[in-house]
Amino acid sequence: MIWGALIGGLLGTVVLTTVMRAAGEAGLTRMDLPFLLGTAFTEDRVRAKLVGYALHFVFGLVFALGYWAVFATLDRSGVLVGALLGLVHALFAGTALVSVILPAVHPRMGTGFDAAGSSPLLEPPGFMLVNYGRQTIAVMIAAHVAYGAIVGELAARAA
Amino acid sequence: MARRDGYLPIRDYAAIGDGRTVALVGSDGAVDWLCLPDLDSASVFAALLDSEQGGRFALEPSIPYDTRRRYVPETNVLETTFTTAAGTVRVTDAMTLPLRGLTPYRELVRRVDGVAGEVPMRWVVEPRFAYGSKRQPFNRHGGVPVAANGSDAVAVLTWDAGRAEIDAASVAGRFRSRAGQSSLLVLSAAHQEPLVLPSRDGVESRLDASVASWRTWAGERSYEGPWREAVLRSALALKLLVFAPSGAIAAAATTSLPEEIGGGRNWDYRFSWPRDAAFTLQALLALGCGSEARAFFSWLLHASQLTHPRVQVLYRLNGRDDTHERELPLAGYRRSSPVRIGNGARAQLQLDVYGEVLAAAALLAAFSGGLDRDHGRRLAEMADLVSRIWRRPDAGIWEVRATPAQFIQSKMMCAVALDRAVALADGGYLPGKNVGRWRHEAAAIRVYVESAGYSEPKQSYRRAATDDGVDASLLLGVLARYDRPNAPRLVATVAAVRRVLGHGPFVHRYLADDGLPGEDGAFIACSFWLVEALARQGRGDDAAELMDELVGLSNDVGLYAEEIDPASGDFLGNFPQGLSHLALINAAVAIAEMS
Repeated sequence: MIWGALIGGLLGTVVLTTVMRAAGEAGLTRMDLPFLLGTAFTEDRVRAKLVGYALHFVFGLVFALGYWAVFATLDRSGVLVGALLGLVHALFAGTALVSVILPAVHPRMGTGFDAAGSSPLLEPPGFMLVNYGRQTIAVMIAAHVAYGAIVGELAARAA
Repeated sequence: MARRDGYLPIRDYAAIGDGRTVALVGSDGAVDWLCLPDLDSASVFAALLDSEQGGRFALEPSIPYDTRRRYVPETNVLETTFTTAAGTVRVTDAMTLPLRGLTPYRELVRRVDGVAGEVPMRWVVEPRFAYGSKRQPFNRHGGVPVAANGSDAVAVLTWDAGRAEIDAASVAGRFRSRAGQSSLLVLSAAHQEPLVLPSRDGVESRLDASVASWRTWAGERSYEGPWREAVLRSALALKLLVFAPSGAIAAAATTSLPEEIGGGRNWDYRFSWPRDAAFTLQALLALGCGSEARAFFSWLLHASQLTHPRVQVLYRLNGRDDTHERELPLAGYRRSSPVRIGNGARAQLQLDVYGEVLAAAALLAAFSGGLDRDHGRRLAEMADLVSRIWRRPDAGIWEVRATPAQFIQSKMMCAVALDRAVALADGGYLPGKNVGRWRHEAAAIRVYVESAGYSEPKQSYRRAATDDGVDASLLLGVLARYDRPNAPRLVATVAAVRRVLGHGPFVHRYLADDGLPGEDGAFIACSFWLVEALARQGRGDDAAELMDELVGLSNDVGLYAEEIDPASGDFLGNFPQGLSHLALINAAVAIAEMS
């Protein structure tokens, strides 16, 4: 099952990335996960995108392992369970992971305590990522539910 | 500073930009035009086209003032000096060029330096997204006022510029500018990504670096002939219109500035016209801009790949051809409506385009000592196309919206296209298997032009086979070398253009009906074409005298619009206009070469 989950993580990240990019093109959100991740390591925009995409796929695999652990604990996997985990994942990202934890550890992201000082700051995402567009959380949920469903399905097939 | 019904004269604007977009700054300190993220994107500030709904970034003394403006020498960074009874302040405006490091996606910087006394200042930022249709509220993100619309957002950051007060869809402040002190206002824009909120040090560094970068570029320009200052300013204006991500050159920075105040001749020029190719390459190469010339030509052949061998009249700056025309519910500059975006000329047949493209190829081949093999093959196929379609009626260089006609200038340029194709093939730059046909068809075109295209009573080539009128586009017969510059009929045509269409330094395009209501002004590029034609015909003194007059017609910072009202001297049409500046450069170079 673990290989199924990993392959699902890779494929799911491709789909998640595509959904997020399409939503950006459609004017629904300014959320750019690879850009956010990459700028934690470099100020160079081009390098940030490259590093960000690499990290994004690594995290996609790491989260797939987390999903696999849940599937193993529950002794259940499949599209529905995966999609449900994806929903929880998106809500966690909107309420804590991206909106609170990422600004706390990201060296270039603003928090409520910062003003523009000696270094450039990235606009903080806000609760439910609303600063990046009101539809951002809906896009995040759709992308993560798709990710979870793919991980769940491939994990089930490999079980 | 007097606005009329909320609008400044077009000549009261100056342009700043970053190679991706252009902002227009009024003489009263208001940024009335800015499209984000790119020049052909939707506007965020469009008070230029609707003083109430369009949105602007105003910055001015709150007491009466006079202004004096200039560009920081050899840059596209603008300095506006406000003189008041209480003192003097200088505002420096720039769209900064990105440095290494995390910089805003687009950044408009406005630095206020107190020069003398203590001047009360006020500012207000009213972004109106999507051409004024989206009035989005400001919220504070990380303490910074931010307004967002879909995947676009702007943040307003200020230092020593008073408290930023949010009032629904605007943010405003007041402060006192004291001698020796500096304040900073920045508009940071994002597109499909989180906003970057820059530091003051970073902004100051980018402003200084932008000045240095423009100076370096200007210092590399090789022209040392007469009217150097005007030529260099024109080069800098053109550089503002170069869309750096693709190499395309926009015809102008605006849409729908009217050719007639209150009229409907309002078009979107934020696209690239292949027709301007030869003018562009001639000017760029004369100025030593080889890389820009190569980039533009590569972009041109890349953009036209999908329609090959047909070359569309215009393309978007990113090479796409979706320039469908539609009207916006904006009031229009001084009630000149409709305001249009997109351009319906895209669907027209304009045969002269092929002459310009092949003439550009010949210039580039001579400069580079060769052409890309694939480019050569495609240019040969364009020549084949010209051989097949030159007999068709077309819309002509002026893109008339009346019934297509047999425009003589179009036929001349078809002959030029085939001449250049033959020359390129003879030089080994194009596949030459159809050279015989190109020669035969070029000769046939000349037989047609000389029999059906010349009016003995008017002593001029005709506007069209069925229109005995004089047309300033026929000057291009000299410039593009349809025949020897001193060929009797070309000499007579230049004289007729000056006699019939000229008023002092001004030259109208034509006097005939063009299928549109109203009249337009004198076309600035035509005046410079006349200068170049006179120079090429050996009349250097006449050319220089006219050039002196024309150089004096620019606005206070050396920029030109598309047209000018001969009666009032007011600018008309889109601004700044690339073709006007291209024609100025080529005219100056022609005089320099001839002397």
